[in-house]
Amino acid sequence: MAKIAIDPITRIEGHLRIEVQVDDGVVTDAWSSSTMFRGIELILKGRDPREAWTMTQRI
Amino acid sequence: MVSSSVQDVVSERGLSRRDFLKFCSLMAGVLALPRPYMKRIEKALAAPARTPVIWLEFQDCAGCTEAFLRASRPTAAELILDVLSVDYHETIMAASGHRAEEAKQTSIDAGGYLLVVEGSIPSAEDGIYCCIGGRTALDILQEAAANALAVVSVGNCSSFGGLPKASPNPTEALSVMELVTDKPVLNLPGCPYNPVNLTATIVHFLTFGELPAMDSLHRPLFAYGARIHDNCERRGHFDAGEFVKEWGDEGHRKGWCLYQMGCKGPVTFHNCPAVRYNDGTNWPVASGHGCIGCSEPDFWEFGIYTTIELDAFTPPTTYAPVQIPAQSIDPTSTAVMGGLAGLAIGAAGAAAYQALSKPDENGDASSEEKE
Repeated sequence: MAKIAIDPITRIEGHLRIEVQVDDGVVTDAWSSSTMFRGIELILKGRDPREAWTMTQRI
Repeated sequence: MVSSSVQDVVSERGLSRRDFLKFCSLMAGVLALPRPYMKRIEKALAAPARTPVIWLEFQDCAGCTEAFLRASRPTAAELILDVLSVDYHETIMAASGHRAEEAKQTSIDAGGYLLVVEGSIPSAEDGIYCCIGGRTALDILQEAAANALAVVSVGNCSSFGGLPKASPNPTEALSVMELVTDKPVLNLPGCPYNPVNLTATIVHFLTFGELPAMDSLHRPLFAYGARIHDNCERRGHFDAGEFVKEWGDEGHRKGWCLYQMGCKGPVTFHNCPAVRYNDGTNWPVASGHGCIGCSEPDFWEFGIYTTIELDAFTPPTTYAPVQIPAQSIDPTSTAVMGGLAGLAIGAAGAAAYQALSKPDENGDASSEEKE
């Protein structure tokens, strides 16, 4: 019984962490976490819709 | 790993000496160096030393990485990957997890590398909004900066805080220069930055052993020393008072000035009009949208659709009127139109015209033109 964490996952755009639970050589559970947060939804709140496209395309 | 010179790499890839010299002259051009310096650049790049690079990504969208990887001019693209020995870059490295972290640690321990940072650094709640390998971006940046020769921030986020810092800045994002104060920090803002400016910065670093001259915002003057407006290909239309008034109108189809559609070119410093993006393919203004000011601090607060406030919003009297009246050909109007053509050339010509045109008794030099 072991828990393996791979962080960072490379060759992707963005930040990702994967944890897997391994029991007798079989993966029994797994968790993925996005380890970066900018709050773009919070930034968009109350702004003019005419600039929303420039912001959301930076996701 | 860092033993072969740039010239060796060029030969290994089957590129000719001519390609190598073309690259050297391109770099001299971007850096605005006089021709004799090309020899010095050539000498520096032929020497057996390649600079190790650690490229860290924090609160980013990987857009600057994409710009870096999409440098499509083959010689430049391959050179940039080999002029540099990129020891750590999450988006392109083969290793992942703890092996990736080990590679970074080995480079940090060896020291003498350039640290490239993409993305801002969140400081709210002790920095938990960006963690890599279980450590916060705040922590990782400080550790990596300690042994770096210099730090280069690519993109507006790492240079000035960028999108994450946009109001209300939910994660209290900070720029690199707010956190790293004991190392030379150079900013290459832009959204994304232009990879040719990173290549040129590194070539400058290898040739002269120091970072290029910078402005007060730590931006290299060779790339950020002039306003977009001053070198804009649509500038002639601004001087002639020919403005796009609505998307898709006649002026828009004719490529007129985008100032009245909210173009931020007059307050933005960047070399976009000269180097363009995607290896000289195009840039926003040429494609029909105004500049959004992405190389300036806090540009997300400007409102991309609002017009900017210039110091003198009303063009000086020496500028041509916005509506040029249709006139029949006669000696007087020919002289006036000749004067207008001169104005379109630039402010210097305009000033000269003003000096030569004596105001009439009503004090109105342009009364003739408005008839």
